[in-house]
Amino acid sequence: MISVTDDIIIRAVARILIPFIQVYALYVIMHGHHSPGGGFQGGVILGASFILYLITHGLEDAEERMSELKAGLLSSFGLLIYSGIGLLCIIKGGNYLDYGRLSAILKVVPAQARSLGILGIEIGVGIAVMAVMFSIFFDISTGGILPEDEEDLGGNR
Amino acid sequence: MNIFLLFGMGLFALVFLCLYRAVFGPGVLNRIAAISAIGTKTLVILLLMGFIYNRVEMFVDISMVYALLNFIGTITAAKYLEMKGEI
Repeated sequence: MISVTDDIIIRAVARILIPFIQVYALYVIMHGHHSPGGGFQGGVILGASFILYLITHGLEDAEERMSELKAGLLSSFGLLIYSGIGLLCIIKGGNYLDYGRLSAILKVVPAQARSLGILGIEIGVGIAVMAVMFSIFFDISTGGILPEDEEDLGGNR
Repeated sequence: MNIFLLFGMGLFALVFLCLYRAVFGPGVLNRIAAISAIGTKTLVILLLMGFIYNRVEMFVDISMVYALLNFIGTITAAKYLEMKGEI
């Protein structure tokens, strides 16, 4: 189990750096269609900020911010956004992920609806990737055994 | 010859010296430091590539991501070392 680090330098640097990493991740997600990046890359950076928090501040603090349950729910929620927008386009009579059909719902011209549709897709992908990245690291670091499970096992691990 | 290309090639040659230290270096601390130095050099090479291709505003984004992930990678490796094999 990862415990909080004793080094105040690492803790202070992480505390200062994490908000900037998260803002930068949001920038990468939002600017995915103008510059390098997109939903997956922004999600990875966003997940890396949570991983940095878990490494520097320990498992107990990190579980208050982002637990295994929250990561599972958020990954499903991101996938729901993705598939929901895709299915909404089918309901409006287009192909899967045919964003131009969303113009009737969003009340904008089809070109703008395409831009907004792909932004929604990238937000969904970003949330899902962030949660899955954190979940993978969480599972690897704990070995699938949470602290409350260790008490049930009698601590003979 | 383009000066950015020249400096990029020089840094590219220096990466191999760090790679030697990362592969054969005695002890894990040398390896962590070498990997971190390679990451920093890659960051600068990316920016120089941006100048060569005249699209530096795109390569700044990539190199910033590289800097952030390199930092997190180094911290993780150091944490792994601190906890003696249990992460």
